[in-house]
Amino acid sequence: MSQEEKIQQVLEEKFPYLRAALIIKRQRRIFLDVAQESFQEVFDFARKTAGFSILCTITGMDEGEKFAVIYHLAREDGIVLNLRLRIGRDFPLIKTISAYFPAADIYERELEDLLGIKVEGLAEGPHYPLPDNWPKGEYPLRKDWHNNLAAGREEAKDA
Amino acid sequence: MKVISRLIQWGRVKSPWILHFNTGACNACDIEIIAALTPRYDLERFGIVLKGTPRHADILLCSGPVTRQIECRLKRIYEQMPKPKFVVAVGTCACSGGVFDGCYNVKSGIDAVIPVSAYIPGCPAGPKAIIDGIVKLLESVDKQDKGT
Repeated sequence: MSQEEKIQQVLEEKFPYLRAALIIKRQRRIFLDVAQESFQEVFDFARKTAGFSILCTITGMDEGEKFAVIYHLAREDGIVLNLRLRIGRDFPLIKTISAYFPAADIYERELEDLLGIKVEGLAEGPHYPLPDNWPKGEYPLRKDWHNNLAAGREEAKDA
Repeated sequence: MKVISRLIQWGRVKSPWILHFNTGACNACDIEIIAALTPRYDLERFGIVLKGTPRHADILLCSGPVTRQIECRLKRIYEQMPKPKFVVAVGTCACSGGVFDGCYNVKSGIDAVIPVSAYIPGCPAGPKAIIDGIVKLLESVDKQDKGT
């Protein structure tokens, strides 16, 4: 039995509701869909017991009806567990994981700036990666965002 | 007086000092600029010296489309250069914004922010094109002042 299947067995024993939600896409890649309520316990288990101690990055996606946030956790032997968390579009709110991974605040700031997903518990900080004079309420990476900001050439007529 | 001003003009045209500034480029044009300065293509035979500060520079060599973050910094650097000053936009992104024109974080090409004297297209602009562009700029500056 391969390492990935061992991990699958351990996770499904501990959390029976994950039985249908875990997919081994290919070698060293495990995809797992979790609901927001059970995210914390699955995350803690993966981090502490299953050995996924490296956070690669956090991906945010706009899937039309919902937002998806994927936490890419990796193990020392190269197996990556992709925890996908789906949240509603109207009040997107997630908790920060920067208490466990201090570098996660950079990825969470990107989620806040570019997709408008509010991250609870994130320390106050500047815009990242958008510039400081970026207008509020504009989230460029949402699929329904249109670039209404003035194009560069019109502003430069008198330059 | 005329002799002195002609002397100064000769110094400016025969040995312009440049400042290289990257306003959000992917770095390909920067690498080509550095390649143009190194001995194989050798911009330095025109008396061109790469300086580290705008206060010493005659020509500002800019690459990259202007991102919204760098816009005020680019303006400040341009204002710090003493007159007479020239701006050369290296690469397609610097000329017009290139493929990034219209993106949410890109203003446009460099002439949306500061006046540009010469445009060198290319992605990236090859060293020969850079040399050609700079020589054309210097020739036009020379001609202009001989005319006035």
